[in-house]
Amino acid sequence: MKPFVYHQPKSIEEASVLSAKNWEEAVLFAGGTDVLGLLKDGIEEPKEVINLKGLEGLDQIDFTKGKELRIGALVKIAQIAEHPAIKQSFPALAQAAAQTASPQLRNMGTIGGNICQRPRCWYFRGDFHCLRKGGDECFAVEGENKYHCVIGGGPCYIVHPSDLTVVLQALGAKVTIVWKGGQKTVPTSQFFVLPEEDLYRENILKPGEIVTHIHIPVPDSKMKSGYLKFKERDVWDFAVVSVAASVRIANGRIESGRIVFGGVAPKPWEEETLNRELKGLPLKDADLQKLKALALKEAEPLEQNAYKIPLARNLMLSLLKELMPIIPN
Amino acid sequence: MAENKIIKSKFFFEEEEIEQLAEVSERKYRPWPNNDKLKVVGKGITRLDGYDKVSGSATYAFDVILPRMTFAKTLRCPHPHARIKSIDTSKAEKIKGVLGIITYLNAPKIKWYGNSFLFDPHLRYEGDEVACVAAVSEAIAEQALKAIKVEYELLPFVVDARKALKKDAPKLHKEGNVVRGKPSKYNRGDLQNGLKEADVVIEQTFNTQVEIHNPTEPHGSVVNWNGDHLTIWDSTQGVFRVRSQVAAALGLPESNVRVIKKYMGGGFGSKLEAGKYTVMAALLAKTIGRPVRIALDRREMNLAVGNRPDSFQTLKGAVTKDGRLTALYLKSIGSAGAYPAGTGCAWPLRSMYDCPNVSVEEYGVYINAGRARAFRAPGHVQGFFALEQLIDMLAEKVNMDPLEFRLQNYAHEEPNWHIPYTSKLLKQAYLVGAKSIGWEQRNKVAGSQSGPIKTGIGMSSQIWWGGGGPPAYANLKLNRDGSVQIIAGSQDLGTGTYTILAQVASEVLDIPVEKIEVILGDTDTAPYCGSSGGSTTAASVTPAVRDAAEQMMDKLYSAAMAQFDLPKNKIKYAKGKFSTVEPKPRVLTIGQLARKMGERVLETVGRREANPKGYAINSFGAQFAEVAVDTNTGKIKVQKIVAAYDIGRVLNRLTIDNQIHGGIIQGLGFALFEDRILDRNTGKMLNANFHDYKVPTIKDTPEIEIHIVSETDNRLSNTGVKGVGEPAMIPTPAAVANAVYNAIGKRITSLPLTPDKILMALQS
Repeated sequence: MKPFVYHQPKSIEEASVLSAKNWEEAVLFAGGTDVLGLLKDGIEEPKEVINLKGLEGLDQIDFTKGKELRIGALVKIAQIAEHPAIKQSFPALAQAAAQTASPQLRNMGTIGGNICQRPRCWYFRGDFHCLRKGGDECFAVEGENKYHCVIGGGPCYIVHPSDLTVVLQALGAKVTIVWKGGQKTVPTSQFFVLPEEDLYRENILKPGEIVTHIHIPVPDSKMKSGYLKFKERDVWDFAVVSVAASVRIANGRIESGRIVFGGVAPKPWEEETLNRELKGLPLKDADLQKLKALALKEAEPLEQNAYKIPLARNLMLSLLKELMPIIPN
Repeated sequence: MAENKIIKSKFFFEEEEIEQLAEVSERKYRPWPNNDKLKVVGKGITRLDGYDKVSGSATYAFDVILPRMTFAKTLRCPHPHARIKSIDTSKAEKIKGVLGIITYLNAPKIKWYGNSFLFDPHLRYEGDEVACVAAVSEAIAEQALKAIKVEYELLPFVVDARKALKKDAPKLHKEGNVVRGKPSKYNRGDLQNGLKEADVVIEQTFNTQVEIHNPTEPHGSVVNWNGDHLTIWDSTQGVFRVRSQVAAALGLPESNVRVIKKYMGGGFGSKLEAGKYTVMAALLAKTIGRPVRIALDRREMNLAVGNRPDSFQTLKGAVTKDGRLTALYLKSIGSAGAYPAGTGCAWPLRSMYDCPNVSVEEYGVYINAGRARAFRAPGHVQGFFALEQLIDMLAEKVNMDPLEFRLQNYAHEEPNWHIPYTSKLLKQAYLVGAKSIGWEQRNKVAGSQSGPIKTGIGMSSQIWWGGGGPPAYANLKLNRDGSVQIIAGSQDLGTGTYTILAQVASEVLDIPVEKIEVILGDTDTAPYCGSSGGSTTAASVTPAVRDAAEQMMDKLYSAAMAQFDLPKNKIKYAKGKFSTVEPKPRVLTIGQLARKMGERVLETVGRREANPKGYAINSFGAQFAEVAVDTNTGKIKVQKIVAAYDIGRVLNRLTIDNQIHGGIIQGLGFALFEDRILDRNTGKMLNANFHDYKVPTIKDTPEIEIHIVSETDNRLSNTGVKGVGEPAMIPTPAAVANAVYNAIGKRITSLPLTPDKILMALQS
């Protein structure tokens, strides 16, 4: 690890000023579970590390019935997994939090850090000067790409590693971003970016901008949500593929819904056509099978990751069957 | 008649038959009865070192702290194949706190791996040693590594053994890419006749991946010079082996080198040889005049200190309609890595079944990757994965139950040499295991279950050597207070050697294990024992300890006879006390006797007796796996493993269960997850960490049921023990693979059995 200057700002404004430099200069540090790995492996070698733990007011979960759930960026993933109101009203979120990493990492890692974590691509994390690190080659395209994306890739083929983001997007969450002299709140679907939009970052944050809160609208009683994560090892593993869904069920049909995939694309992957198809869909097995054929239709797998397509489709079906009473054919 | 004798001793250690002269005990002891009649041996007592380990007070090599100690780190080649054009260490030397740097330019030219050097400017894999730096802290040493400027000439590389065999492949060594220049061959009977005789012949290829040992405790040493004497605290499976290798490398008499190892966090075969790091640290320590600690990090562990070689196996099996094996054939290719290493996997096929016609051709191949080393049952885990699937395929073809097929082709004598076994209870293991798993409930037609989750049951046999043999010596000392020390040059890898040796002495001396201190792993104080590998430690060393303890009992009887002035038949001994009623009741503890004698006389040297002539010594066993395959995801959930073993006498029921649990979990890692991934385009390892290189966790561990079908092997030794460490892992992957076939009706012939392979097989 290279020596760096360590800052402990007292206010968001101060943190914003300190971090308003090039990405190479300064890095934000919340739980540290990702940043420490990046520093130790020499993937990022900033001159300054800005610890956000001293900032006040970012470690609260506020639940306003019938309105919204607001989670501070410094809230630990373990707290989300165990929070009674979240478990009851946002089961998908609690499930995703409980399946993230390991207990030790969940006790340290924060939701803000989790949605801003860097990709796990083994070329990015390894001793390779790849596209995302300013090089001129994505080693995965012709290389070992079993865990890479099947859709939304190019010229870089990472997948977004976070479990929480997949659920947040399915629940229609928004992210508040603060900087010195301003703030904005954007839907998660606009927070993440594809490599073709920005090759070097996975989200819209600019230096000096800090995620402070996540807002999730409180669903009505007819909404159901869930998350399925497929990992090779039973614990302490990132998702190979995951899927989150939130659906509103009325009169034996899906009234509306959102399905978001993880592990298949460089960002949480949501397909308009698929969501449209959900509208008014009867709860019959045959109709669900139609969805299966529609999901990830535009996918272009690399040499070693074609399995992700049937895996994602099967997971989606399993999840919908868990959420709804399905009438067999 | 002399009580000791020097003989030529031969036995199997890992895959090699070793031969050496050994002084053996000729004393014959009454065989111990079965364990239920013994007081201490066989009981599941907790480890004597358990408290030290769970409390954190156990010191490992890494924990040794010496005054003025310094820290070394190694610069490793980042390329799969390169030649050093120039090295400039001047900038690194100027960093404050850097004390010494060695490279091929200033280090002595020390031969290594037989065809290379400690520092070789020709670098043959990502991880090959380029330079070593000693500094006042590890962080400074690491900074210095980054400041060393190396100019590399990049050479063409090859990281796939099959490609390395091609004519135009880049060459790693002058001799070409085949280790030792030619394949290793074995033939018995006539393969062509055997194939002709058969009604069914199946040919199938299998391949297994490279597995990294990844013991919990990293490789490392602390070295300290005192004049021209060198002391090494090392994490090693063989203190004497390290002593001789390091002494030879440094040109020192062995008497000037002392190697110490007390506790250890596993080795699995990767610590059976001296590390380059130890010699580099010793060279630096000599130059800078301070002790040096060198400890590898996890990345270095994955790159540079061994692995289980991969295998590409083509098998042919021939069988008659009535299920009689007539021929077995194997051609295998295995990656030795960048330097010579064993890669064979033919022993299972040669030894498991009664088959008259066998032909084997095996190629060890150099590739630009880390060198292989012995890894828990080298060759056998790979070999059985292929063989036991082929056996199931043959059984299915002739409509036989796979278990019945195995019984039909049971080897009643050793098939290579046609000699009897000292003991073989494999049939009992089969039957006990089959009953316990519910063998009859497996799918009669593979893959016939409906529903997305399909379950299946499969099995695999195993054979291993593990009989050990001489030389192995143990000193036993009785102190003035009646406490006992056992001193032996063996080593406890974490398997429980400390505890079982104390149990053996406790059994003979009839004193509690708490009164017995076992001292292992010190070349200056302990008599020679072999390296702890090949599942030989318990089988080799416990008889020597019994011999030492029995001699001690004889001495104590003589002392008691002299003190009481009575013949032996008038004296009784129990629980550390001699007693007599003649002419009046008298009692003498062994401590009192020791004080009367002057304790120094009360020392005995125990020797392992010779192995019986004309017998094959093997441990046997079988594992049965029950799996559930999710056809939606391709994920295999191993629900239960039943392990049934013939391993002679159980010394400690707790530690043997632990050994078998560990072997099965490691076997599941190999079956389901673990795989060294080399990038085909750059030759670099992509998963040299515990996130991407997936070892199983407790959540992936199924219910495990263990049956030991043997009581003792009295023909083998005075303790009747055969080894279990490696046998525990051997059959797991094959049993799981056969169970997966039984569940889904698709045979997966390449390891690991990852969800993508299952899912794609199900789609096809």
